[in-house]
Amino acid sequence: MLVKYEFLKIIRKKSTFIIMTASLLLTAFLFGLPIIQYQTYNQDGVIQGAQGIAYVKEQYSMSVPLSEEYIAESIGEVQRLFADSQNVGYDGNERFLIGDAYWNHIAPREKMLNMIAKTYDSPQENSGYQKLAELEAAEYNNFYQAMEDKMQALRNTPSRGLSDAQKAYWSNMADKIKVPLQYGYFEGWEIIMSSFELLVFAILSICIAVAPVFCGEYQAGTDAVVLAGRFGKTKLITAKIAASFLFGLLAFLLHVVVACGLPLMAFGADGWNLPVQIANTTIPYPFTFLQAALVSIGVIYLILFAMISFTLLLSSKMKTPYLVIIVLVPVLFFPIFLTPNGTTGTYNLTLFLLPYRAAMSDIGKYISYQFGNLVLDAFSMRAILYAMLTVIMIPFAKRGFQKHQVAG
Amino acid sequence: MELQLQHLSKQYGTNHAVEDINVSLAPGVYGLLGANGAGKTTLMRMICGVLKATSGDIRFNGKTMQELGEDYYAHLGYMPQDFGFYPDFTGREFMLYMAAVKGLGKRKAKARTEKLLSMVNLQEVADKKIKSYSGGMKQRLGIAQAELNRPSILILDEPTAGLDPKERVRFRNLISDFAKEKIVILSTHIVSDVSYIADTILLMKKGRFLLQEPMAAVTDNIRGKVWEILVPEWEAASFREQFSVVNLHHEGSMVRLRIVHENPPADNAVSVEPGLEDLFLYHFGEEQEGK
Repeated sequence: MLVKYEFLKIIRKKSTFIIMTASLLLTAFLFGLPIIQYQTYNQDGVIQGAQGIAYVKEQYSMSVPLSEEYIAESIGEVQRLFADSQNVGYDGNERFLIGDAYWNHIAPREKMLNMIAKTYDSPQENSGYQKLAELEAAEYNNFYQAMEDKMQALRNTPSRGLSDAQKAYWSNMADKIKVPLQYGYFEGWEIIMSSFELLVFAILSICIAVAPVFCGEYQAGTDAVVLAGRFGKTKLITAKIAASFLFGLLAFLLHVVVACGLPLMAFGADGWNLPVQIANTTIPYPFTFLQAALVSIGVIYLILFAMISFTLLLSSKMKTPYLVIIVLVPVLFFPIFLTPNGTTGTYNLTLFLLPYRAAMSDIGKYISYQFGNLVLDAFSMRAILYAMLTVIMIPFAKRGFQKHQVAG
Repeated sequence: MELQLQHLSKQYGTNHAVEDINVSLAPGVYGLLGANGAGKTTLMRMICGVLKATSGDIRFNGKTMQELGEDYYAHLGYMPQDFGFYPDFTGREFMLYMAAVKGLGKRKAKARTEKLLSMVNLQEVADKKIKSYSGGMKQRLGIAQAELNRPSILILDEPTAGLDPKERVRFRNLISDFAKEKIVILSTHIVSDVSYIADTILLMKKGRFLLQEPMAAVTDNIRGKVWEILVPEWEAASFREQFSVVNLHHEGSMVRLRIVHENPPADNAVSVEPGLEDLFLYHFGEEQEGK
């Protein structure tokens, strides 16, 4: 009963409605932008927006298991095309295929060919499908060996500073990737996965909406009457906290639906069951796109819960919601202005745990944390950290309201 | 049933808002009188457990507030001064919410809500948002929520402040209805409100009780110190400068003054029966005038 009324208190506020509406519109704009700005090419020129998306879905959609044979055959085909000089253009820097050779044989699966080519790159390189023309048969017949070698090379890159235990951790994880990879269309998921940090605006708006949960009572002068009630210092506080989390859960779900719904509606949900390695073969997580998205959203939910706990803690201690917001905004947005200079060292590893950065998937960065023999990847570390922060801060928020003195 | 305040003090730095209050309260209506800043609200907040005492104990039926925990609050009904409402709640929702805060079961909460809304004459507007209520309606809702759990201790801090005379009368009657078999502490600086409904007067000054007397005997201390005198208009001003004048009434070219003073203010002054306002002015006259 109390949870119901506390929930009503949050959602009935005009400010909640305004903040949530603005936040949903912003989320729709940010996640809708890649749809509006989407462009692709055909022989006639640029095709933009929904038309471009429809064209790619119709023309370039494919579903194929990336067996060694299929890859070798594809690379062989690229090499044959490059062997005919009439198919090849040169811009003074690199060779590329032109005309029908490009539009009929490369364009429909350029993304896949680029992914295959990058697998044969050294960690410092970033090649396109042109690289495939230079491969020896011994190389292209062993795509999955090349994939493993590339991952190993990345793990061994000195600048990553991974310990033996961390290397073993990532190696074990990569061993769980099922091969051959199944390739297919995954445009919508790629956009979602690359934009998760934009949900930090949703986190802020939810925190703003729950900021008055305790201090709103102080500000309105209702603290005296509720604290003098039988459950004012016990069940009411639990109800306030539960209602805040319930509101956060539902409001964020609404944002997630908008954030994921728009790209998936525009690009289609195809690819949900495909491995994330088809976007980048060096990703060590054995996830499908849906699993990766769910894990990312799960972690962001934990960030949200920790931020709600922090907001409630501030709310129980401060006099007005405005003061709470003044503290919240820099905590959430300060990390935006800090740029990592690698993936190792205290500065970078701390930065990857701060709210804004922690909302990024960073799925291919091999970010790991070691405590003695225990190694945790970024997802696990963030999940544990934010779950702990939630658990630690809630009792302090409770105490803050319990100990509040009605004075002045 | 007994509420005991034992050596109760509240100190802010070196300032004693409430100092060494000792009183034992049995069922009845207690009018807590005092000038602004006397410590009435601080004392009430401490009794309601929303402000921690610097020292001393509050006991209900022999047990301290801390020992009783939630059970203490179950006996309590509190209407704070100028307390806010949730403007987006309807009157009925607010009552049901407060019933839940007070630990009433769903069915009981509904029954009490409907009964009290009817008693305070708010049933017709019960489904309207509180932000549309007048000051008087909010005050009535305030006392209704305080009464939800049928408290043994009812604390009302300035319940009639800001009400027009008609609403005040209505409110006084409500308090009288609610006061049966309860310890009711009613703070106000509107002396006439107290005089109608209080059984006992607790007079507070600078954080201490100056007086704890039954209503009938409360003015005994100032018997022989309240005077009436008829003076020409031109002389009235000089009396007002010299004495605490409770009342002033023009009668033709003369002015009838009611004065509280230890000695007769003039030879023709007549001693009259003291009232509660006289008592108030006797103790707080200088504070009220800022002297």
